[in-house]
Amino acid sequence: MAASGVTERRGIPAAAFVEDVQSYLNESALDVNSALAFLQERLQQYRVVEMKLLAQQRDLQAKIPDIEKCLDIVANLQAKKGSGEALIADFEVSEGIYSRARIEESDSVCLWLGANVMLEYSCEEATILLKRNLENAKASLEVLVADLQFLRDQVTITQVTIARVYNWDVHQRKLKPAASPKES
Amino acid sequence: MQQAGTSGSEVEVTWEDQQNINKFGRLNNRLHELHDEIKIAKETCENLEDASNELILTDEEIVRFQIGEVFAHVPKEEVESRIENMQEVTAKNLEKLEEEKETVVSQMAELKKILYGKFKDSINLEED
Repeated sequence: MAASGVTERRGIPAAAFVEDVQSYLNESALDVNSALAFLQERLQQYRVVEMKLLAQQRDLQAKIPDIEKCLDIVANLQAKKGSGEALIADFEVSEGIYSRARIEESDSVCLWLGANVMLEYSCEEATILLKRNLENAKASLEVLVADLQFLRDQVTITQVTIARVYNWDVHQRKLKPAASPKES
Repeated sequence: MQQAGTSGSEVEVTWEDQQNINKFGRLNNRLHELHDEIKIAKETCENLEDASNELILTDEEIVRFQIGEVFAHVPKEEVESRIENMQEVTAKNLEKLEEEKETVVSQMAELKKILYGKFKDSINLEED
């Protein structure tokens, strides 16, 4: 019955596709209301996971341009090396206040690694490290996007299943009065 | 957001239908993302245009060009060629995004035909 072949992805349970509502209700031994309640709860759980993944995606999407900016600066410093000139740059000291810096030629740069740690690297090492971080971030983002797509598919399947169970119930109720005689 | 909603009918939903509905949902999400990305790319193009025009007007020899978080003092010609490169990159990116958008839009139209064909009024694939 589960035509998808995937039962879960990285902790996210797959939504079982319902071939036929009647047999689904029989097999799960649930009445319509319980089935709908179960499916609604599943939907809520999916929403919670979706929020979490979206937050992670935003973080990664902010991180990537940061790493690219660092790579840009290091590349510029390296390019300046042979010329004998210092790099003059204006930088922000505080909101709206800038100061001028004179950056002499240097073979090394310091990279902020996080957790109050800053390490000195040669320009080449720094470039390698930054490129590796960039690749990791991009790879993580790809996996995350795939997770989100999988999750959204499960949400869609669950929504359609809810609609089908509900419609099946409506259909059943329409058939019922024809079967039982009513007093007028 | 477009929702694949179905209402009161006896037409059965097969796994293939479900996959089509899922695919439509994915394409729709991608379409919204593309709209945003295209908007950003167009803004970047405009900004680069403005920067390029400012460059022509200025008579300073050294221009403050943003690299990362700082503004480096760079000679005017170098800034000109850098901006040209950036404009090329952005234009190519924009073209790629527009192409992808066209593909997505046509795939969505195809799926609409198939799904409306089978489910008619029981399904709603429009933006609300």
